[in-house]
Amino acid sequence: MNFAAVDWIIIVGYLAVSLAIGILGKRYVGNVAHFLVAGRELGLYIGIATLAATEIGTITYMYNGELGYKYGFASFAAALISGIVMIVVGRTGFIIGRFRELKLMTVPEYFEVKYSRGLRIVTGLLVALGGILNMGVFLKVEGEFLTIVSGIDGRYLVAVMTVILLLELTYTVLGGMVSVVITDFIQYVLLSIATILVSIYAVYHAGWGQIVAKVTTTMGEAGFNPVVNPKFGLTFLLWQVLLWFAVHTCWQTTAMRVFSTKSPETSKRVMTWTGFIFLGRGMLPMLWGIAALTLLGSGALNGGIPQPVVNGQTLAPIDAMPAMLAQILGPGVRGIVVAGMLAATMSVNSSYLLGWSAVISQDVILPIRQAFGRGPLSSGKQIFVNRLANLFVSLFLMFWGLYYTPPGAVYLYLNITGTIFLAGAFVCVVGGLYWRRANTTGGYFAMVLGAAGAVIPYFFLGWGENVTGFAAFGLAAGGLIIGSLVGRSRAVQSPETAAAD
Amino acid sequence: MQLWQLFWTVSLVAAGASFAFITLVVMIRGARDLREMIRDLGRQREEDSG
Repeated sequence: MNFAAVDWIIIVGYLAVSLAIGILGKRYVGNVAHFLVAGRELGLYIGIATLAATEIGTITYMYNGELGYKYGFASFAAALISGIVMIVVGRTGFIIGRFRELKLMTVPEYFEVKYSRGLRIVTGLLVALGGILNMGVFLKVEGEFLTIVSGIDGRYLVAVMTVILLLELTYTVLGGMVSVVITDFIQYVLLSIATILVSIYAVYHAGWGQIVAKVTTTMGEAGFNPVVNPKFGLTFLLWQVLLWFAVHTCWQTTAMRVFSTKSPETSKRVMTWTGFIFLGRGMLPMLWGIAALTLLGSGALNGGIPQPVVNGQTLAPIDAMPAMLAQILGPGVRGIVVAGMLAATMSVNSSYLLGWSAVISQDVILPIRQAFGRGPLSSGKQIFVNRLANLFVSLFLMFWGLYYTPPGAVYLYLNITGTIFLAGAFVCVVGGLYWRRANTTGGYFAMVLGAAGAVIPYFFLGWGENVTGFAAFGLAAGGLIIGSLVGRSRAVQSPETAAAD
Repeated sequence: MQLWQLFWTVSLVAAGASFAFITLVVMIRGARDLREMIRDLGRQREEDSG
C-alpha cells in the first residue's frame, strides 16, 4: 500500500464533502429543465468550470499519458488541434450559437425540430450506443490508475470502482445537472491543482534536458514532428481537425453545457475560454507520459519504444504514468493528487451518466411512446424516466468496463466509438443549419452510413483509426448529399422558424 | 527537429500558463456564479410552485 494515513483522510474527506454537496442539489430541481440543463442558468465562470471538469477525467490523463509515452512531443499536435478548434468554435459560434438559440436539451432533439421524429429516435439510439461504448472503458482504466498509484490490491478493483460509481450515481440521480454543476466546480478546482502539482513534480524528477534527450534518442525526429511520425501524419491531423469540430459542437455532454448557459453569447465565451484549458488538458498529461518514459522506459523495445519497467516488472505503456506518480509523489501530495484524480473521475462520469441517460429517455423512450399515440409525460415523470435510464447506463458500464479491453491506444478507441454517431450527427447538423436542401432521407443515409463507416472498418476489417475516421465522415457527408438530392422528405426549416415553433 | 522542439516548448509553456491562470480566475469568480445560479434556480422553483 502506497498511501499514508494523511492520504486516506484527504480522500475520504473529499468523497464525503462531494457526496453531501451533490445531494443538496436535489432541492433545486423542480422540473425536467432543471434536471437536464440546470434551468439554463450557467454564467461564464461556472460554465467554464463545468465544461472543463466534464471533459477532463482520469481517463483523459491516462490516454494522453499513453500518447505521450508512445509518441513523444509529436502527440502534442492532438492537444493543440483540440484547443484551437474549440477556440474557433467559441469565437465564431459555429453551430453552438444556433443550438443555444433553439433551447434544446439534447443533441438528437434537434433532429426532430429540423428533420423528423423517426430520425430523432435513430439518432438517439446511435448517440446512446456510441456514447455508452465510449464510456464503457472509463471504469477499468480509471481503476488501473487508482490501484497503481494507491497500491490497493488489484483484487479489490471491482469493489473500489463500484463504490465510486455508486457515489456518482447517487447525486446524479437525485440532483441531475444542478448537482453535477455544483460538484463539478469543486472537482474542477481540485483536479486543476492536482494537474499543476503533477506537472511540476514530473519535470522536476525527470529533468527537462533528460526528457528531450530521451525522446530524441528513442524516437528521433518522429518524436517531435507529427507529420513524419508513422502513427500520425497529415491524414491523422486532418482527421483530428474534423473530429474535434464534431466533438466540440455535437458531443452530448459538451452540448449540454452549451444548452445550460444563460445566453448564446455566454455559451460562446464559455467555449472560447475552455479552449485554452483544453491545450493544457492534453499537453500536460502527455508531458507526464514523456516523463514516465524518461524515468521508467528501460525495458525491451516494442514498436521501437522501450517498455516501462518497475521493480523488474514490465508494464503496459498506459500504466507507466501512474507508476511514475506512485514513485515520485510523497505522503500528503499523493493524497491531494489522487483526490484530484477522483474528482476528475467523478465529474466526467456523472456528466456522462446524465448525458447518455438524457438521450435514452428524451430521444428514444419518450418519442417512441408518443409515436404509439401516448400523450406527453409530466415533468416529474420525465425526471423519473431519466433516473431509471441513469441506473441502466450504470449497470451496463459495470459489465462492459470489466469484460472489454480495447485494442490499441485507448485514445484511438475513444475516437472511433465517438465517431459512430458523431460522423452522421455532425454532418446532419451542419447540413440542417447551413444547407437548405438537406432533408430527412439524407439524414437517415448520413446517420446509418456514418455509423457503418465507423464500426465495420475498425471492428470487423481491422483498418487503421485515421482511415476509419475519414471513411465514417466521408460516407456520412455523401449519404446526406445523395439522400437529400434524391429524397422527397420534409424540407428543413430555418433555425428561426424552428425556434419560433 | 530543432524548430519542432522549440515550437512544442513554447506551446507547452503557453498551455500550462493559460491553464493555471484560467483556473485561478474560475476559482475566484466561479463561486459567485454558483451562488447566482442557486439563487435563480430557487426563484424559478418558487415561481413554478406559486
